[in-house]
Amino acid sequence: MNREQKIIAFCCNWCSYAAADLAGISRLQYPASIRIIRVMCSGMVHPEMVMHALAQGAAGVMIIGCHLGECHYIKGNEMALARAEVITDTLEDLGYASEQFQLTWVSSAEPERLVEAFRNMCGRLAVLQSEQSADHIM
Amino acid sequence: MKPKLNFEWLHACSGCEISMLNWGEQLLDLFDQVEIVHFPLLMDHKYGGQLGEGAPLSLPEADIGLVSGGVAHQEHLQVLQEMRKQCRTLIALGTCATHGGIPAMRNQWSTADTLHTVFTAGTVDKEISPSSAPAFLDRVYSIDEKVRVDVSLPGCPPQPQLIGAVIKALVNKDAFQLPQKSVCETCPTIREGKKKMAPVQRFLHNADYDRDQPVSEMQCLLEQGLVCMGPVTAGGCGGKDTPLCLQARVPCRGCYGPVQPGGNQLLDMMNALASNGIDHRALVDRKSLLRFSGAHGLLKPARKKN
Amino acid sequence: MSDNTMSGAVMVVGGGISGMQAALDLADLGFLVYLVEKTGAIGGAMPQYNKVFPTNDCSMCIIAPKLVECGRHPNITIMTLSQVVDISGQAGDFTIRVRKYPRYVDTSKCIACGQCSAQCPKSVDDSFNSNIAKRKAIYIKYPQAVPLKYQIDPEACLRINQPGACGVCAEICPPGAINFDDQEHDHELRVGAVVMALGFQTFDPSKAKVWGHGIYPNVITSLQFERYLSPNGPTDGILTRPSDGEPVKKIAFLQCIGSRDKNRCNNEYCSSVCCMYAIKEAVMAKEVNPELEVSIFHMDMRTSGKEFDRYYERARSEYGVKFIRSRIHGVEPKGTKGDLRLHYISPQGKQIEEIVDLVVLSVGLETPDSMVKLAETIGIHMTPDRFASISAFMPVHTSRKGIFTCGAFNGPRDIPQSVIGGSAAAASVSSLLASARNTMTKTTPPSIELDVRLQEPRIGVFVCHCGTNIAGVIDVEELTAYAKTLPQVVHVARNLFTCAQDTQDLIVQQIRDNGLNRIVVAACTPRTHEPLFRKTLKSAGINEYLFEMANIRNQNAWVHNQEPETATRKAKDLVKMAVVKVATQTALKPLRIPITPSALIIGGGVAGMTAALNLAKQEFHIHLVEKTSQLGGNALHLFQTWNGEHVPRFLKELSEEVLNNPNIEVFYNSTVVEVAGHVGNFNTTIKTGTNRKQTIEHGATIITTGAKRYIPEEFEYGKIPKVVASIEFDKLHMHNETRVANGKSFVFIQCVGSRNKERPYCSKSCCTHSIQSAIKLKKEVPSRQIYILYREIRTYGQRERIYNQARELGIIFINYELHGPPKISREDTGVLVEVWDHVLHRPLEIKADMVILAAATLASPEAVELANMFKLPLNADGFFQEAHAKLRPMDFNVDGIFVAGLAHYPKPLEESISQALAAAAKAGRLLARKEIALEPNTALVDPERCDGCGLCIDVCPYLTIHLVTYQDDDGSVKKSVTINQALCKGCGICQGTCPKRGITISGFTYNQIEAQIDAALCTELTPEASL
Repeated sequence: MNREQKIIAFCCNWCSYAAADLAGISRLQYPASIRIIRVMCSGMVHPEMVMHALAQGAAGVMIIGCHLGECHYIKGNEMALARAEVITDTLEDLGYASEQFQLTWVSSAEPERLVEAFRNMCGRLAVLQSEQSADHIM
Repeated sequence: MKPKLNFEWLHACSGCEISMLNWGEQLLDLFDQVEIVHFPLLMDHKYGGQLGEGAPLSLPEADIGLVSGGVAHQEHLQVLQEMRKQCRTLIALGTCATHGGIPAMRNQWSTADTLHTVFTAGTVDKEISPSSAPAFLDRVYSIDEKVRVDVSLPGCPPQPQLIGAVIKALVNKDAFQLPQKSVCETCPTIREGKKKMAPVQRFLHNADYDRDQPVSEMQCLLEQGLVCMGPVTAGGCGGKDTPLCLQARVPCRGCYGPVQPGGNQLLDMMNALASNGIDHRALVDRKSLLRFSGAHGLLKPARKKN
Repeated sequence: MSDNTMSGAVMVVGGGISGMQAALDLADLGFLVYLVEKTGAIGGAMPQYNKVFPTNDCSMCIIAPKLVECGRHPNITIMTLSQVVDISGQAGDFTIRVRKYPRYVDTSKCIACGQCSAQCPKSVDDSFNSNIAKRKAIYIKYPQAVPLKYQIDPEACLRINQPGACGVCAEICPPGAINFDDQEHDHELRVGAVVMALGFQTFDPSKAKVWGHGIYPNVITSLQFERYLSPNGPTDGILTRPSDGEPVKKIAFLQCIGSRDKNRCNNEYCSSVCCMYAIKEAVMAKEVNPELEVSIFHMDMRTSGKEFDRYYERARSEYGVKFIRSRIHGVEPKGTKGDLRLHYISPQGKQIEEIVDLVVLSVGLETPDSMVKLAETIGIHMTPDRFASISAFMPVHTSRKGIFTCGAFNGPRDIPQSVIGGSAAAASVSSLLASARNTMTKTTPPSIELDVRLQEPRIGVFVCHCGTNIAGVIDVEELTAYAKTLPQVVHVARNLFTCAQDTQDLIVQQIRDNGLNRIVVAACTPRTHEPLFRKTLKSAGINEYLFEMANIRNQNAWVHNQEPETATRKAKDLVKMAVVKVATQTALKPLRIPITPSALIIGGGVAGMTAALNLAKQEFHIHLVEKTSQLGGNALHLFQTWNGEHVPRFLKELSEEVLNNPNIEVFYNSTVVEVAGHVGNFNTTIKTGTNRKQTIEHGATIITTGAKRYIPEEFEYGKIPKVVASIEFDKLHMHNETRVANGKSFVFIQCVGSRNKERPYCSKSCCTHSIQSAIKLKKEVPSRQIYILYREIRTYGQRERIYNQARELGIIFINYELHGPPKISREDTGVLVEVWDHVLHRPLEIKADMVILAAATLASPEAVELANMFKLPLNADGFFQEAHAKLRPMDFNVDGIFVAGLAHYPKPLEESISQALAAAAKAGRLLARKEIALEPNTALVDPERCDGCGLCIDVCPYLTIHLVTYQDDDGSVKKSVTINQALCKGCGICQGTCPKRGITISGFTYNQIEAQIDAALCTELTPEASL
């Protein structure tokens, strides 16, 4: 696979998207494979969007919302949490690794936490990829 | 000159063709207007290597081709490709052709596992199948995964009137519109929202209704806790009338495939349940929600865990 | 005064950030504003700065939208190169003579092409660049200037000084805009009120030779340093030694240059901002070059603002900036290569010599002589420190009625305080001239919008360099070339600063010239800049929603600044994602709903009452909710302001005025229990004292819930009766209780509960408070021994005067550090205080009759619940977190809700009052509009797809979705859902639920997000390839 490994990160406008802006202001560095898609709420993301991204070759998909109880729209992140269970359950059914999806909470004032989440995701996918290519050789 | 029609069946059960025949007398009118040049179910027409002479597969040219069934092995693929070559307009007939259908359920296992289960497990046979049998593909494909398809006509089977109407429209070069919405569009049940939806129940559970009242007096089956696939399934089975399963007061099984092209009935249904606060994990054998649409890479063998 | 004599026009004098804020608020409050600026362009000091503390935002980037807004506002007339000559008349009816000096360039003709400047043969020092660079005799003040028109410096111009000479600019100017015969003109303008935002100048250190400024090239001022660091400065942000261009290895910042100094200048006051800007400059320099050694020589680090102490701590621990407590009195040369020698005495008492490459003088702020003279002419009183004389109770009122004042002219202050001042002045004007509102303003005709529904997308992409912020990392040329290859993109341009006023005009022109109907700006973040560009689209006649931003700065160039190639590749993806998204964007119209013309103010302290009274005088109805049975809040415990004004009397008058105002309804013993609705139409339920619930309809909300005091757990508080907190002491002192009356020795301990690990912030008012008490004690009985044990004395601004007074009176100040706090024990009838004396370098024992603890101010614990109900953020210390620390200091990201007073951060009374007035300005600005345009990014039902399955109904958090039945063309009954657009907030939970894409959020449709995913992954997979 020579294609650039990319991660789609759905970022909530009110928290993680702002944190991503703040990460820039603070010049925190993170892997450039992240592609942020701004959404108004983590509850806006339909699981099919996650599947679509994976089907189109994304190495991983993240949904990053506000901490539970801090949703700008009352319960969008709770919705995202319920759907995340569906996504992780069905990922394995559908032949993906559940590691390819991650739901995370980050407030608008936590750029470090966001960057940490990005780094962890990249690290996890790198491990997954090396396992898979090892399988391939065998 | 009458337009020519080609029919083929691949990994199929002949249900689609039987459904077409169910159109009744109107079919005879149609047959007057067209010339059927190839139809293995109805007409004896030798082609390909079937006479043992090893000639290459060849089908007659036609204006309209109808293919039912999915693509499971090399011969299916060859026949399909020949159909595409010979037919100006190609119709995928039935859910097997459009979404893999029931045969694609085997996509949740590898081909080797399937063959082992079917042919060698519990027997003394060592050989899976004769070496002269066509090679199996890695999974079951819908036909649009292999060739360009002009019209997708899902259904298990498709409604007879719909098949007839589409062929008629093509013959007369009329515009036609397939149903775009879900099963719910023509479902007259009472809906109020899913908040009060009962916990998910097994399929063997009966719906709650008054047999003396019409369907329009029955509460939405999903709201009754039955996993009715209506919202995630393409409509059209009842024509403009109440969907067929609903007429029988049983929940929709999803046989028309996803309402969205490229949709995933399993994911959509689970998501709809989870979003409404229903414990989706109470669902037994959730993969069966893809029982009609396992092609397009939706059903896959579970990843091997290290 | 009868109403018809009031003028609905206002003059704002001074086009800096404070004046601009006042002008913008006033213009939106329904007044015609003349914004008078003495230089050729508005903006004041902010455009000169590289970054701002503590957010490290690029200063230009955050001020640019405001510049543009001022330049565009139909009710703001900017008068540049203009000065007020005199003011006659009275409040409501002033006549002002304004002298407009010649620009020699016809602004209606100048196209700012810059050819004149390129050809001009005469160069002079550029004051915008603090004289470290040259500019031409014909010039613009700075590239993003508003108005963007060239001007001729008459002192430098060859032609103006010698008729017949040169004149090359006039010869080559394409539109023929040069006019050497331009004359000064006097204008007489009638206005109802005046806002003086006269600003400041930085202290000129070359007057005193000791620091070597102007003698040694490597001694520069902080403003010059700022220009060196600035990417749009003369060195493109690259710092080298001015003497030889060699790299800088070691920098010393000298604090209090021209501040806290009665010897070398007459600036006794503290300039309030230098500590923070020095830290910021040190951090910025260290960021570019971590090897750099940076020391800041200071007396006290006065980082008392919100998040400032954290910033200070990070500079020390993360960036390794050294802080040395020593005042340096002279800079000497070392050798002949430009090195500089400093002498100082270390905290351990040792003489130390240090050699550095560069000395930065942290120069203070002062009022220019010309402005002092103007104040005299107008007849407004000034303080001995030469700032406008104001009362803490009326912090934006001058001594002359109808003339208001804000910004650094009121005393040295930072940007947020200046912004607050600007808004506060606007609120005060608005209450004075309420009857003349909307009598002079123009209404903009609705813009004619091109219908693009049937057009093929013609997308324009604008790539921003953001100075070097983006262009320094990303190959913008390559990005531009790539953008041209994208489908439906017909025009691509690059700009140095896409947000600048001139670029807006350029974009409008390019939209028209190229018939563009959709725009992508690849720049910073839509969170700050989307509104600006939307306005630009509007003025170009296309729907403002046909717009998308690619965030290639904050989320790319800045976070991958070591990987230019990868960042460039990513920028391409981001631009492509924006292009595919905007391609299917549809024109949207905001939903207009009427506003309930009343405000709910939560908290009946001084801030709440001030805001209430101001808005009531602006003729809005106010519901003031107070949780106790009494108005006054924390101020009930205060006796005087820092300059000795009597608080209880003020409080009594204020409460009476509030209670007597017919527009104010006070609810005692009441708390908010439920919040519904949205900006313009809130429905808030309160529980009153009788346990009855009452729902209030209001258009705006102001939170003034105050703070609470820290109950010390340290220093034997509560165990030894002679150890008391300062608020308790004030009461004992007032009643001359025996402990106080008989006391001979008093010890004040500062920072009790503040500035520690648990609460790393400064409570801001305690230093001043303790010193005031100490002075009073000392004055009563001069033989009393009074000690103040402090970590840093933070008598910022003109409060420094009382610190000096205290020392002159013989009050003893002893420094202690966080790791070595004083020890308190009971001894006989008194208290023994042990502390390490840093001057004498030995432990000190003080026998005290009373120990007074300056206890911290804590966030109100009720803030959590209120924040949850209104969906507002709190900072780590539990105070309400404003939308932007610099430019939106009383706003939230949730529209229609504002904050003021201690609920925001600890602060003295005058700052609470200012902020309350500012919040009132914001609320008034909203309520004065009568109707509000709601964001149209709401859920839309697609009738082609929705079949009324009902899955979305109960997922909506706002219960806006309802099932409906209808008859289709065949007469058959069908089901669908409808959305209440006014209640829909566009969260998209419905979109995330619907299995058939039957409901979608405009601006974030399923198809758009899917297209973005595909673009991000640059999908070129064929079905075969996916096997």
